[in-house]
Amino acid sequence: MQDYKDTWNKILAEVELEVSRANFLTLFKRTQILSIEDGVVTIAAPSAMIVDLLQRRFYEVIKKSTDKHVGENSKLVFVPKTIAENIEKVHDDPNTLFANSGVQKTSSVARPPRVRVDYTFENMAVSSSNQLAFVSASTVAKKPGDTYNPLFIYGPTGVGKTHLMQAIANEVFKNKPNGKILYTTSEEFTNEVVEAIRTNNTQNMKKKFRDLDLLIIDDIQFVAGKERVQEELFHTFNTLVDKNSQIVLSSDRRPEEIKQVEKRLISRFSGGLTVDVDIPDFELRTAILLIKAKKYDCELSIDAAKLIAQKASDARGLEGLLLRIITQAQALNKDIDESLISSVLSLSRDEKINSFHPDELIKNICNYYNVKPTQLKSPKRDAFLVRPRQIAMYLLKKEVGLTFVEIGNLLGGRDHTTVMHGVEKVENLLENPLVSEDIMRISKNIVDKNVD
Amino acid sequence: MKVSFLSDKLQEKLAFLNHAVSIRGQLPILSCFLIEAGKGKLHISSTDLEIGITSSIAANVEKEGKVAIPAKNFTDLLSNLENKKITLVQEGEVLNLTGEKVKASFQIMNNEEFPKLYEDEGEMIVSLKPEEIMKYFQRVGFAASSVETSRPALSGVLFDKEKEGVVVVATDSYRLSLQKNVFKTTQSLKKPLVIPSRVIRELMSIKTDGTIKVHVSEKNNQVLFLTQETVLVGRLIEAEYPEYQKIIPNEFSTKTEVGREDLLKAVRIASVFARETANIVRLIIEKSKITVSANSPSVGEDAVEIEAKTTGENNEIAFNAKYLLDILSILDVEEVVFEMNNPLSSGVFKIKGDNSFLHLIMPIRVQG
Repeated sequence: MQDYKDTWNKILAEVELEVSRANFLTLFKRTQILSIEDGVVTIAAPSAMIVDLLQRRFYEVIKKSTDKHVGENSKLVFVPKTIAENIEKVHDDPNTLFANSGVQKTSSVARPPRVRVDYTFENMAVSSSNQLAFVSASTVAKKPGDTYNPLFIYGPTGVGKTHLMQAIANEVFKNKPNGKILYTTSEEFTNEVVEAIRTNNTQNMKKKFRDLDLLIIDDIQFVAGKERVQEELFHTFNTLVDKNSQIVLSSDRRPEEIKQVEKRLISRFSGGLTVDVDIPDFELRTAILLIKAKKYDCELSIDAAKLIAQKASDARGLEGLLLRIITQAQALNKDIDESLISSVLSLSRDEKINSFHPDELIKNICNYYNVKPTQLKSPKRDAFLVRPRQIAMYLLKKEVGLTFVEIGNLLGGRDHTTVMHGVEKVENLLENPLVSEDIMRISKNIVDKNVD
Repeated sequence: MKVSFLSDKLQEKLAFLNHAVSIRGQLPILSCFLIEAGKGKLHISSTDLEIGITSSIAANVEKEGKVAIPAKNFTDLLSNLENKKITLVQEGEVLNLTGEKVKASFQIMNNEEFPKLYEDEGEMIVSLKPEEIMKYFQRVGFAASSVETSRPALSGVLFDKEKEGVVVVATDSYRLSLQKNVFKTTQSLKKPLVIPSRVIRELMSIKTDGTIKVHVSEKNNQVLFLTQETVLVGRLIEAEYPEYQKIIPNEFSTKTEVGREDLLKAVRIASVFARETANIVRLIIEKSKITVSANSPSVGEDAVEIEAKTTGENNEIAFNAKYLLDILSILDVEEVVFEMNNPLSSGVFKIKGDNSFLHLIMPIRVQG
């Protein structure tokens, strides 16, 4: 069957060039080869009328291509037959008649796809920085659709947004195993929309997204600038809210600050509850480390945890450090003690675990030189602006690792060659102790602020 | 081609013919009528490749011929003409229309591009009266799935052979309608047929005084409905129909008789408050009454009591109001019988004193 499909696709690709687009879409789209036997090619088309047209008007065109791909003097036979494709069972709804009568339900074993079991409310460390988010998420999980709809969680990376959302999915699933839960990222959502448009199959996609009890989309800010995706999201949103299905979204910034997203969508994002999750404070980081350590089955003293907690600001960074320490300890067959920790940590210091947000860096530079970010980004080239601007370019390149083009865009749409020049300039100036000290102070400011 | 006829005769056919004119119209020929003049008759056909319709009217044919012209323009023009004699004459690439005080000309499309609706009429299965079709198919057809599902069979209506007669079934997997004894099982019905629900819908809008003959052409995988003047052609769905017999319960613990109008009104009232909560209405069935209720936390709640004669246990069940409204408004009988076992298994509506029909609805699980 697969071979036929490939052959037919090759034939269709050639036919497509010969016939008009309208003809191709309406007549050829749903055709298929049923069999090839003794030079007789049996082609199935959905209705007898299509068969008639194919036979009378396109026989020669199809024949030419079939001769090429199947063999000279092949005979074509057309039959009206609908071939049901994609018989893959889209996860059967247990609430339907036939599922009920049919095979025993297996939903108790099944889990919502892409949701990790170990992300639950129970194993989440809560402190003042994420308390509000935690409480609202657990309320939503208990009564999906009834309380805060949509729930919008925002905050910088590695503060537990994903954990919260997965915990909601887990909790809702636990309470209502039959509920339709979808956890996805905005990138996947985009892909689905694009795929649906490409294959002309928007119906299925619409059904998939609008028939849910709980829709969770991670990193929603990535729909920025994708108009068609936003439109689809907008309608999905309305449908789901109308039927009281819960929606949970996350982003790295407030809804109003997401650029290139239509106003009506933004207003819907902020229509429910918007909560922020902040960078975990020192105590919380320590607590997170202790929880993670337990997960990896290793003993970690509170003092040791404190030591590590000083070195990274977000949960992912902490976990990374912890893992390295554990591996190191296993490799050296030693217990985790302070000396081991500091030896690992001193290594990692140089590798810049503390990467920071470009905006933050620019802000710091501006504070240091006492200029405004708008001035830094303006086209003006006054002497007091040029130096900070070039230093900004240098730091954005070296510390954050942006590309020249990105830096140019960030600093008021400058050409990438301008940025290259700026970076080079500062590199040469580094020998000058005054300049290098400036740069060191700026970097230190940021690092201190982050770790504190 | 040269042909003349009375515009009224054609007008009544055009409305129906337009049902098969392709709306999306990627292929220009599909938004056309094929007009054929021959042997004292004028035939007009339309198709969207899924279904096809041919109608004919008596006409004075002076010269035979065949043209394809844009359906919409032709319909709009004809619908504004009063009952007058109209003459169509083909001149080269143009079809000229002359009536009293009216002249029009249409650009002709290549009629070779127009598909042939059917090769042969196939074998006759049965001949039905329009009233029978209305009565039986209306009760059943609406339950078929209207969206594309992973089970293509569900978008069709099943004609199944049984000992006593042919059973017609439709389901969208949330509800199921079944009508027994639609007509006697005949030899010519060789295997169960699944006819697209769209064809059934169109069938109900065929207007005829005589009978409607049902033909099946196995070779072409087509079903045809023939009346004196009109032929409706559709394809057959080739898919296994789910085993519907298995899901129909044989025994019920609760059975209640209730006035159809009363229940319909009660559900309508309840559905006002059900709109925000996924359209859920609850039925609480007690000895001599049914309470229909709905609530929505943000709007309010209501409950309507109606009289009923219940035998068996008191019971409780929740449905999507839409499904209840659908079935209750389609049946045109005084009293219905509702039977159920428990809140989690399906409820069944029947017609009092008529065992040939049943409608089964899947309940909604309500927590708390």
